[in-house]
Amino acid sequence: MRLPPVLRLVVRNFASNLDPLTVIIRFGQPAVTIIVLGTMFSTIVSSDLTGGTSYTAFLVPGMVAFQMITGGVVSGNLFWLDRRWSMVEQVFSGPFLRSEYLGGLVLTSLLFSLVGVGIMMLVGLPFIGLPPLSPLGVAAVLLTVALGSVFFAGLLITLGTRLRSANAYFSIQSFLQLFVIFLSTVYYPVTAKTPRVLAVIFYANPLTYAANTIRDAFAGSLGAGDLEGLGVLAVLAAVAFAAAAAAFRTMDLGPIQ
Amino acid sequence: MPSTELVLETRDLGFAYAPDRFAIRHLSVGLHRGEVLGLLGRNGAGKTTTVRLLTTLLPPTEGTAIVLGQDIRTGGRALRSHLGVVLQSESLDFVSVERNLTLYAFLWGVPREVAKSRAEEMIALFELEAARRRKPWALSGGERRRFQVARELMHDMDILFLDEPTVGLDAIARRRILRYLKERARGGLSIVFTTHILHEADLLCDRIAVLHLGQLLALDTAEGLKQKFAGAREVSVTFGSPIPPATRAALLAELTSRGATLLSSESGGSVPVNRLVLRAERAEEIVPWLARWADAHALPVERISVEEATLESAFLGMIGGDDEEDGAGPEPTGELLPPDRERGLP
Repeated sequence: MRLPPVLRLVVRNFASNLDPLTVIIRFGQPAVTIIVLGTMFSTIVSSDLTGGTSYTAFLVPGMVAFQMITGGVVSGNLFWLDRRWSMVEQVFSGPFLRSEYLGGLVLTSLLFSLVGVGIMMLVGLPFIGLPPLSPLGVAAVLLTVALGSVFFAGLLITLGTRLRSANAYFSIQSFLQLFVIFLSTVYYPVTAKTPRVLAVIFYANPLTYAANTIRDAFAGSLGAGDLEGLGVLAVLAAVAFAAAAAAFRTMDLGPIQ
Repeated sequence: MPSTELVLETRDLGFAYAPDRFAIRHLSVGLHRGEVLGLLGRNGAGKTTTVRLLTTLLPPTEGTAIVLGQDIRTGGRALRSHLGVVLQSESLDFVSVERNLTLYAFLWGVPREVAKSRAEEMIALFELEAARRRKPWALSGGERRRFQVARELMHDMDILFLDEPTVGLDAIARRRILRYLKERARGGLSIVFTTHILHEADLLCDRIAVLHLGQLLALDTAEGLKQKFAGAREVSVTFGSPIPPATRAALLAELTSRGATLLSSESGGSVPVNRLVLRAERAEEIVPWLARWADAHALPVERISVEEATLESAFLGMIGGDDEEDGAGPEPTGELLPPDRERGLP
């Protein structure tokens, strides 16, 4: 049976670009963060600051949210490498539409993120036990990560269509990744003592909404604020995807460094 | 022999990358089923742009092209599903050569068993056995190029576009690939083959379109191009007995009036000679005339030889010689061909 073009591209994305070492590093780094950072900070951070839970229990939902960046970065890099090694042009000269190629990348990002969610949950399980996730909570977690993944994939792919140098692409990607994480509530909460400027930046960051929504889902306390957060993520994901689609139409397929 | 069925036809096809800056312009060519059409030209002549236009990678800014009955502007996936494209730039996936082949076949929807046996066939044909388990970036330049061509042949197609596929190949590999392509063309595959290696075009192509500075200069068979554009050739004639000086002077006068000039004789001056070397614009007319002249003067002819017209001399004749600086050739006028020949119609 012949798979639809998008799925054939997804299979190819996984088969051709994701070597075991990359997968281990991509998932290993946040897993180690949960284990080491969680353990160490649990001993020095008061549970008053983390909503009455241990720091690890605070961190695990943050790392689950972080998977939306992992997926986005994977497909962004994959696209960059395809462009660098002329596979974009080769695929476009074959029986595929540009939209299918873009769809394949986003779906790859989504799958990667969702696998990451599962791994983070498994790693966190010994530290925090099974969170009281309702079906609605599970849906909220998956939807949040999915929307965030589409947002970051769209953002990095758009960037990848416009840059012509690997140095520029990977520098900007690392910079974005680092600052998006540190300027979000993945590692620490926004409290009354948080400087105003930083608090504004935190709430302009989609990862904050994702981390907060997932944290609430884990705590079984989803509310209207989370729905708002999901709405913000959905709008951002739609804008980033539309930007990537528009960039694909005008992308220069010529050689890059 | 190619059939008379046209599988590709362009009319005044053009692409401008900026207003009034054309990479290719007024391109009118045709390709028949089972034909190998060479696109020959210097770097920057417009060969790659032409391939990118015809494979829908670039939208034309003027003119039309019908490929396999479909307009390249609207044909999209339905059209590309019948094309094979070996790009000039190397494209590869980060898996072994063997896996690259089967993965590419998978992308094209080739059934797994067919893909496996075809991969074996391609590995053998393109001498990639030793490279089978290596990643493409670990291959030599020649191996990588062979791999590129092999990979494209993993799926079925009606037209194969090859953009300088033999760059970096050794003579044996090149000949082997060209022979295979010729066989496939005999089997009905139509091929568009870009190259700047004249010998290859001569060996493989049924017809050759010469592009220069984005315009079509000429379209004909290799022989036709040589006849039309190779220019003056060397004619050497050896008589069985010396030519008396007076007869020789008369002969040279006759030859001059026929556009030939004397390059050398075995000895000169008043000493009788029996060998002349000439340069003639229309060598094919001079040779029979010389034979008749010798007969009329009772001079036995031992040997007449004519320097073979080469595609290289024809090419240089067309684009303005080999002493031009890059891009400083003559402005193409497009007047070398009458309109019906430009279209490549039978």
